[in-house]
Amino acid sequence: MAILAGMGAAMTLSVGLVACGSGSDASGAKGGSITIAQAGQPDFLDPALSYTIHGWEPMAVVYTPLVTYKREDGEAGSELIPGLAEELPKVSADGKTYELTLREGLRYSDGSPVKASDFEHTIQRVLNLESGGSSYYEDIAGAAAYVSRGDAEADIPGIETNDKTGEITIELTNRRADFANALAMNFAGLVPGDTPFENMTKDPPPGVGAYMFTKSVPNREFVMERNPRYSEDMVPGVPEAKIDTVTTKIIPNVVQQTQEVIDNKIDFMQEPPATDLKAEVLERFGPEGSEEQRYEEFPTLSTYWFFLNTRVAPFDDQKVREAVNVGLDKSGLARLYAGEMEPGCSFLPPAMPGYTEAIDVSACPWGDPNQPPDLDRAKQLIEEAGAEGAKVTVWGDNVETTPKVTQAYADMLNEIGLDAEPKIVDSGVYFQTIGNQKTEAQTGFLNFFADFTHPLNFFYPLESESIQPTNNQNFSNVSDPRIDGEVKKLGEEPDLSAVTNEWEDLNDYVVEKAYIAPFGHRNLTTFVSDRIDFENCTVVSPIFYNDYSQFCLKEDE
Amino acid sequence: MALSFGAVFLLLVAACMAAPLWASEVAHTSPEANHLSDTVVVDGRPTEVVDELGKPIGPTWGGRYFLGADGNGRDIMVRLLYGGRNSLLIGVLASLGTIVLGLLVGLLAGYFRGRVDTFVNWLMDVIWAFPVVLLGVALGTAFAIGGLEIGPLTIAGDSLAIPILIIAVVYVPYLARPVRGRVLALREREFVEAARAQGMGSARIVFTEIMPNLLNTVAVMLPLLVVNAILLEAALSFLGAGVQAPNASWGTMIAEGIERIISAPHLAIAPGAMLVATVLALAVFGEGVRKVLDPKAEVRIEH
Repeated sequence: MAILAGMGAAMTLSVGLVACGSGSDASGAKGGSITIAQAGQPDFLDPALSYTIHGWEPMAVVYTPLVTYKREDGEAGSELIPGLAEELPKVSADGKTYELTLREGLRYSDGSPVKASDFEHTIQRVLNLESGGSSYYEDIAGAAAYVSRGDAEADIPGIETNDKTGEITIELTNRRADFANALAMNFAGLVPGDTPFENMTKDPPPGVGAYMFTKSVPNREFVMERNPRYSEDMVPGVPEAKIDTVTTKIIPNVVQQTQEVIDNKIDFMQEPPATDLKAEVLERFGPEGSEEQRYEEFPTLSTYWFFLNTRVAPFDDQKVREAVNVGLDKSGLARLYAGEMEPGCSFLPPAMPGYTEAIDVSACPWGDPNQPPDLDRAKQLIEEAGAEGAKVTVWGDNVETTPKVTQAYADMLNEIGLDAEPKIVDSGVYFQTIGNQKTEAQTGFLNFFADFTHPLNFFYPLESESIQPTNNQNFSNVSDPRIDGEVKKLGEEPDLSAVTNEWEDLNDYVVEKAYIAPFGHRNLTTFVSDRIDFENCTVVSPIFYNDYSQFCLKEDE
Repeated sequence: MALSFGAVFLLLVAACMAAPLWASEVAHTSPEANHLSDTVVVDGRPTEVVDELGKPIGPTWGGRYFLGADGNGRDIMVRLLYGGRNSLLIGVLASLGTIVLGLLVGLLAGYFRGRVDTFVNWLMDVIWAFPVVLLGVALGTAFAIGGLEIGPLTIAGDSLAIPILIIAVVYVPYLARPVRGRVLALREREFVEAARAQGMGSARIVFTEIMPNLLNTVAVMLPLLVVNAILLEAALSFLGAGVQAPNASWGTMIAEGIERIISAPHLAIAPGAMLVATVLALAVFGEGVRKVLDPKAEVRIEH
């Protein structure tokens, strides 16, 4: 399951495709130190708990799971490779047993040896600490009982390990096609077996990776230094650090961050540049800028949409839902994101198996998303549904651009004949509020960033089993036997390429039923100082985004 | 000079009252209408109201987008006038609320003294203990989420009544204190003694003998209260605890404008200038009123 989140502090990771640097074999100077800025403190500096971009980008270069992704730009970067395991997992014919063997000679950054039993401890921490990622591991046999028992040290029967041979066997209760992806998530990045069952943000545990955390002052800064015990020979494909010290400072003001990167006082900013300075950044440092390139945008595996509650009037009528999709000014909404949004109609985002450009743009049933909407047709649909003047509350949180998007959407609903009012609530209570069935939230803003390139990861908010009285994540309350059946069937197929066409059909079906009103797919950015070798040393992994381990300084720095 | 500033204030009020006229007859839009994908003809050329990077058009000095557009493509001039209506409405109604409550509380405390006075003073101290903006933000944020329910009366979180109530309440001590002081002095005066000797009841003495003597104080305080109420409303709205979107107010417009202060400074400058002009005009006019009605009084509201 990926998390529904507002962009900004709570944003989760996704997959995107881009080509900007040259990959892990890039040249560039070694050594030196850089300063990174991010707008908010990471949710956690603990691999078991962190579930935001603020935490995941640094976490990816400190902790390595048994299985990981190629650290490369673009589509290549979504390919699974062995991490701390010697090979990719051997999966049994029934798809329920995964066998791996730990590489020999692995050591954590504190010098202690890596043991096979550390894997079970790592998963125990994720489950025991009720991490946002725990649902990925609940299909391990005995995991549910482990959680309900509440005993941190209790055994998880579905994980068997042998410290002498390094063998690890995982038994699942049911077949899951995306379990190898789950094993490659940061949550499963190995930590020593004596790591306490508590949030370790103030003193992050050692890991196996290019960097190690050496200082953590919450809400101020954290420091990563090159892990002297790690070399790429230990885990081929996971590069060692080029920069000696990476200091990440928490600077809430994005305008200040942007200006300091422009002035070369900060070397990289995690957030997109401030909208107020975007034009200057593009004109000077963009791909066609007047100066040496330092800025680029990359797509992410994300979709932004408005949910349409199918249990509540007027959106219980498909014609009204169609009217919303027809009337949505997708290209206009993209402008609110300073161009960092590709207008589209598709539920699945580009680069996700099951996505087709046709349903997203050229054959979108609701009109070309890059053109102004057909408001007359939308009004006609509302009239046909007899929903003129229906009262609608449009929900949105107060993060970044969302209030403006919510207001623009409410105005559009008024224009097509409904009587809509925006309702902006604090992001801290947004999901609890709209996820409570008593609220009867009719429609509102959502975005969804996938954690990896498997459509199963994306369909969670449309499955009927996700409908809950509280903390509901199926905000449209979609209960469609075809979606449920297809997701179950396709989700068990280990060979994704064999069923891509069927995922495509399911994506088309979701769009045509107008259960939601998608309006685009988000881009994120790489913006570095003049000190960084942009051409050779900026690699954007589609899973982990900007790869800090591959940053390097120019030869003359 | 005070009169000319008073005239400027009246002019601003008149302009804000004419907002619907400007919106429908000149700008042909409404304060909430978004125009993200629209174009407008400027110097004979069609120009995007909001460009692809989200930068809004600047002042056209024509009927449409006279002062430019905001990030959602809404006409700044229209929102400025509607925002002024909201700001003035809140300022005036909140001040009247403060006067009613302040007079009531001050009269009760000053006239009855004793336990009533002790209780009122304690209550005023509690309110006074919080900085006005802090108290306003705390109340505004709480009510903006859940609205306000007083018995059968329910006020929605985005209603203008919320900032009106909050501002009216937080300024009560600033009026109740001087009123109480005046009442304490007045109740010992001969004409009150005489009324009492004639057998008048307390209520009649308070409303027919004492209150008329407070009108000068109130008249002097009123412009000052309105000025402070408008400023507080702007501050609360700027901080997200006053007028709620998509309703316009100068405070929310400044807050939205700050995000683009470099690339589109008109977004913050226009409402800021209107705020300064209104407050300045009313403050100078109020000072003139004070000089005429109560030349010896030193009236000020200290935060």
